[in-house]
Amino acid sequence: MRGPNPSHPIPSLAIQPAARAGRGLFGAFSNKLAPGYRAPSGMRRPDRPQPEPGTSPAVTLPPLAVVALNRIAFGPRPGDIEAFQALGGNDDARLTAYVDQQLNPASITDTDCNGRITASQYQTLGKSLTQLFQDHHLAEPQDWEVRIQPALETELATWTRAVYSKRQLFESMVHFWHNHFSAYAYEFIEGPLWAHYDRDVMRANALGNFRTLLEAVTRSPAMLMYLDNFLNFADGGLGYSNENFAREQMELHCLGAVVSYGNTPRANVPVDGNGVPLGYCEDDVKDLARCLTGWTFDIDWIWQQPGTTGQPVYRNDLHSTEAKILLGTPIPAGGTALGDGQAALDVLAQHPATGRFIARKLCRRFIGDFPPAAIVDSAAALFTSLWQAPDQIKQVMRHILLSNEFKTTWGEKIKRPFEIVVSSLRATNAEMRFYYQIPFPADWNTWHPDMQDTSSLHWLFEKGNQVIFGWHPPNGHPDVRGAWQASSPRVALWRLSSWLVDQQQASGVWRLNVIGQTPIGVRTANEIVDFWVGRVFARSIPVADREQFVDFMAAGHNPDFDLPLDTDEATQDRLRSLVAVMLMSPEFLWR
Amino acid sequence: MSSCSCQITRRGFVMGCSAAIAALSGSRFNSLAFASPDGSNNETLVVLFLRGGQDGLNVVVPSGGNDRGFYQSLRPGLQVPVASVQPYNLGSVVGPNGQTAFGLHPAAAPLYPLFQDGKLAVIQAVGMSANERSHFDSMNWMELGTPGVSNTSSGWLTRHLQTAGNLPSGILVPSLAVGGLQPLSQLGSDETINMGSPGDFSLDIGPWRYRDLQRVTLRNLYESDTSWLHQAGLQALDAVDIIELYASGGYTPRPGVSYPDTWFGQNLQTIAQLVKLDVGLRVATVDLGGWDTHENQGNGSGGYFSGLLGELCGGLAALYEDLDEGSPPHTSKLTVVVMSEFGRRAYENSAQGCDHGHGNNMFVLSGNAIGGLHGSWPGLAQGQLNEGDLEVTTDFRRVLSEILIRRLGNPALSAIFPGYSGYSPLGVVQGPDLPVDAQPIFSDGFESGDLSAWSTVVG
Repeated sequence: MRGPNPSHPIPSLAIQPAARAGRGLFGAFSNKLAPGYRAPSGMRRPDRPQPEPGTSPAVTLPPLAVVALNRIAFGPRPGDIEAFQALGGNDDARLTAYVDQQLNPASITDTDCNGRITASQYQTLGKSLTQLFQDHHLAEPQDWEVRIQPALETELATWTRAVYSKRQLFESMVHFWHNHFSAYAYEFIEGPLWAHYDRDVMRANALGNFRTLLEAVTRSPAMLMYLDNFLNFADGGLGYSNENFAREQMELHCLGAVVSYGNTPRANVPVDGNGVPLGYCEDDVKDLARCLTGWTFDIDWIWQQPGTTGQPVYRNDLHSTEAKILLGTPIPAGGTALGDGQAALDVLAQHPATGRFIARKLCRRFIGDFPPAAIVDSAAALFTSLWQAPDQIKQVMRHILLSNEFKTTWGEKIKRPFEIVVSSLRATNAEMRFYYQIPFPADWNTWHPDMQDTSSLHWLFEKGNQVIFGWHPPNGHPDVRGAWQASSPRVALWRLSSWLVDQQQASGVWRLNVIGQTPIGVRTANEIVDFWVGRVFARSIPVADREQFVDFMAAGHNPDFDLPLDTDEATQDRLRSLVAVMLMSPEFLWR
Repeated sequence: MSSCSCQITRRGFVMGCSAAIAALSGSRFNSLAFASPDGSNNETLVVLFLRGGQDGLNVVVPSGGNDRGFYQSLRPGLQVPVASVQPYNLGSVVGPNGQTAFGLHPAAAPLYPLFQDGKLAVIQAVGMSANERSHFDSMNWMELGTPGVSNTSSGWLTRHLQTAGNLPSGILVPSLAVGGLQPLSQLGSDETINMGSPGDFSLDIGPWRYRDLQRVTLRNLYESDTSWLHQAGLQALDAVDIIELYASGGYTPRPGVSYPDTWFGQNLQTIAQLVKLDVGLRVATVDLGGWDTHENQGNGSGGYFSGLLGELCGGLAALYEDLDEGSPPHTSKLTVVVMSEFGRRAYENSAQGCDHGHGNNMFVLSGNAIGGLHGSWPGLAQGQLNEGDLEVTTDFRRVLSEILIRRLGNPALSAIFPGYSGYSPLGVVQGPDLPVDAQPIFSDGFESGDLSAWSTVVG
């Protein structure tokens, strides 16, 4: 009954499938179900709140700085609360200043984070799409981790930026869009191209214009491959047609399944006051798919010749030129692949249902699981009215984040595994380098301690079921608390918190410098608890919780007596375990 | 259990119970608590899902008759030779092309003694009439138990647990999902513990000195409120306590039983361990992936497919042998179902593999199996194939329904498989037939296509 030892983990993201992923059109799929990889592909939790047993929590709305730093950012680092407080004379002024700062990430110097990215020696983040395609696909790297190195390094950089970047809202938005346009990264073609998907699609558009982002996603080879549109051709073309992407674009990317009218004939779908259909039916899915026929990319498999660039290609010879109707808008016969596709994206991006769907998801992410209708409606109206504005997303985010609903909502959401770990690292001012030497040296014992730690972190983290870029179905990780209350993620994250305060196996260095960060004058149990409550929660906590922490630290002694923190190893361990138990507590999970 | 002053409900882990559980440390639960003295059901159903679409035609191989000829011409390179199959003869059935003999792929040999002993029922040409060759849709539909509908809000096993009126009240771990994630068949189930191995459910990590104290503090913190978050945390803590109390210190299978040294083998041992611990395990799910053999799958003499099949069958045989002890043996209340989202194309492709197909086998391994070949064999001649694939002659829900009724004593088919009608037993397991509940009691509005049920939460 022995699982792999957590101190000797294999980073499972990088487990090479036993079966060589093939040259067949769908050969790449076999990676997903490769032996040794316990594919989560059957999992498709509906992303909707479920009724829960138990009462509503007795949470108190914390200071606005805490709300902002836990929902706009991935939790406060030391000094963040104070910096927020210094932004103005009252809450509204401070929040406005903070949001405006965060909405202009280029204005925020990010030297520390950039230095950490450099120090981690990632090799692939700067490669162009074609370089990625050539180096990591065409070159047929022997090691699986070299093939998917762009995905692995993007994932490591994502952790680094979430923890250390000062552009926290930007990172949150990138995270949001990756999840909205979710694809599975650790895959035969998607893996090599992932640095492009992250940089040129998500990061380039995270606070920009949705229509532009939508087209970037639609033409990106990673998405073309993941949802099969690279094989979507006019009937009689290569004999294939594929509605997979079109269906998900309607259901998950734009209008949302809530306005699916299924097999209702097009003529019977109800319309709004402007004559625009309220939703989509199967006819619309089919015509959207037709509009996107010929949107593919330069890849070797389907052309029976070496595809050398990996670049998007619009194949008019494989495009369906018949007339289409999309959501009531005629798209005349004879169009080109690019023209018809762009016309279709225009229709999708300006449809009011798209505005509502995106606005609701943004409100659910940044406000709470049950965002009030008023803020969703106003954000949706703004989204749709601004559909051609270059800073559309920025304006909508400003509207949401400065709303009264944002300021007054707390405790509807809990942190998901990624947010738990990142906020733990931020609160404790951790020095964590997310690092892999690729290809992996054969002997684990020769790995750099930081690499050992990174792989151990992955090992522990994946049991929480939120592997970054590792969600198989196209709907993305759920963003409602109901999905994250199961025992498995809870226990997995408790284990991870305890691991964090422990020593690096190889070097003996404590991962978190808990002792060194405790100021000289802080030596009684009461003082120690109050100091670390300030760091971990950045607010006052329920009295009963504080008493638990004090009891833990005082160990039966008078909590006003100095503890031998500087000399006694047991006391030092006690403090480390105290910090861990704070990170494991229910109070730490609210956001 | 009588020493546990609080009531343990079917939810399993209720706040406050764990103190009593901890007090029992060193002793075992009185297994009578779960042994259904009141006649309630104490069967364990294990559902093993083979992800990727297993090539059932090369597991239960036509070895004689006209269909052998069709098989050979469909699969000139992939065929399993008659000589390899004959030692594992399964008997023959009469189909549209006359008598067809079948035998097991040699890598499935570990299951052959169980077949001879009448413990293995092989159902041929099972699947869904909904004709979808997408992995995701097919898996979703099967695990949700609603072919053609992907957005059902709970899995069929969840609905079984919700509707079973015969589960003892004091069970600790009614439902287990072994492996990385909770599968869709258990979607919406609060009582399911999702666990890779008991090792994953230990808090023995981090600085060693204060681990016990940390546990106490953690429990106090999660007991300080009754909110949904606190309750969920307590449930996790209770699960940790139970698993540590019963399942720590490793697991030693029955002497002579050897599981595959793989994740799959470990996952099966987790199930065996929990069955033997008698903590009330009623439903367990486990996966084995890697069946999407579009290329180079290998033929009967070896290769990739053969290795994977050997892992599967070696594991299944080990699980059965391991649990075939006790008085009465655990296998007398064990039913294992092996299913996959679809079979593979009847003809091989140009890459020495085969593409997504349709009908497939299902295996039912049980101390109460009615062993042998079951189901109607549709034949392999051109006109008998469904777009080049083995036809489906038995709805997968028919097999599962029979197990639900005859073994688990739950006839609420209209709740568990909404939309499924016309059930009659195929005769794969022994047990009493019960009147099928024809009253639809499960509907949350979404299944009916009522968009308004979603609009407030998703749109």
